[in-house]
Amino acid sequence: MNTEQTKRGMKVIGVILLIYAVLVGAHEGEFWPFSIYPMFSQAGNPWTRAMVLDVTEVPDEMMWQTQSPHKKSGAPVSMREIGVDQIDFSNFISKTEKWTESRRDAVRLMFGPDNIGDSRWMTAKVHGRMIGRDSVAVTIQPFLLVTADSVYMNPHLDESQYYRGEN
Amino acid sequence: MKWIESIGRGLFEPERETSTGELWFFKFFELFVAVYTILFVWEWGWYTQLRNVEVVLPLGLANYLDVSIFFDHNLALIHAALITILVILCFFRLGPKWLYMVVVILFHLQYVIRFSQGEIPHSQNLIGMSVFCFAIGAWFFPGEKQMPRFVMGSIIFFIGLGYTSAFFAKLIGTGFNWYDGRHLWLWISEKSIDILSREGAYYPNFLQQMALKSTVIASVILLIGWFTELIGFTMWWKKIRPYTTTLLIAMHIGITLTMNIRFDAFVMQLILVGYPWYKLADYYMTPMPDLVRKWV
Repeated sequence: MNTEQTKRGMKVIGVILLIYAVLVGAHEGEFWPFSIYPMFSQAGNPWTRAMVLDVTEVPDEMMWQTQSPHKKSGAPVSMREIGVDQIDFSNFISKTEKWTESRRDAVRLMFGPDNIGDSRWMTAKVHGRMIGRDSVAVTIQPFLLVTADSVYMNPHLDESQYYRGEN
Repeated sequence: MKWIESIGRGLFEPERETSTGELWFFKFFELFVAVYTILFVWEWGWYTQLRNVEVVLPLGLANYLDVSIFFDHNLALIHAALITILVILCFFRLGPKWLYMVVVILFHLQYVIRFSQGEIPHSQNLIGMSVFCFAIGAWFFPGEKQMPRFVMGSIIFFIGLGYTSAFFAKLIGTGFNWYDGRHLWLWISEKSIDILSREGAYYPNFLQQMALKSTVIASVILLIGWFTELIGFTMWWKKIRPYTTTLLIAMHIGITLTMNIRFDAFVMQLILVGYPWYKLADYYMTPMPDLVRKWV
């Protein structure tokens, strides 16, 4: 490229930057592949993830109790082994605001009834937050019990936990 | 303005003649991007066909188009096949010069179809941005010597911009105390749950154990990473580029070790665009007979 073409190249980049800014500005910072790269930008906030515990052998009265990572009621079910993307699954559980019947059934279909078989899988929300100045508290909240043909909500949780934003 | 001229010279190097090695390397890089594009669209297509049931979080064009129609009847796979054919045509410069732009739009569509489930990953952004720069280059700088210089220069521009933008996103999102080591504790604990759920087991590595034991060590790790993001834009200048690239690669290795997040395509692309590989290609091509060199 000669000097003139270089100037033209910079003008083209300038126009792209404008389009870039308009697209990410109008779409909350993300219009793939354009992005403001906001990952990890809000530090120190409490977080929520999700995991699945195999509670087939756990008594009913115990499986809905809040637990900690060091004292779980059942063994974790590996999402990789059942072909589910962990981040997808976690976001699906933590970002869904209205757990309609079809949304609950989507969890069962995501796991695959064949993978579940005769087992009982507890989908749990995992919450993490700072306690005081020097420790992180992590709690496991059982949320949806999934079997090959049904999905059950936690009877100990308030309905507002499943229908956020509704009175 | 002088600083714009300085950036332009750093990115497009108007004083340097185009060499055979540069053209050869450019085609190799285009092959790298084409292969990753094809890999991604098929990976996303298969996952969509097997797992996507409902749109949880619409991204990009999915805000205006119901992408759930691609979840069944193998449509995501047919879409992947169409993109594959178009990428091959573009690679061999068959078809109109705007064909690469069609690939960009369809590639974007495949991304928003696949990632409609709540996750917003960024590890494929560099490949997406590269395809976009190829599209602009093929359209506005189609000459066989102009296109490589524009495409590589614009990719480097957007990589540098992305890192520096990430620095400011953190500064605006949290403030100067972003590097407080306890923030890293929260992220390590968050990622430990992801790993536990993904693999069924989790064991912290040595660096994570060190960071969890001391806020000072955790803060230093965050501060080094944050500073490296800030200077990302210095990639725009040719002489500094290899050093900045090395720091960015080290930062990604650090992120992988502390937060278990891998950036394979990202790092490979950084290695390809951050160092002057054309010099190596020229070095090995110089002793070749003229006939062979022209063919290459």
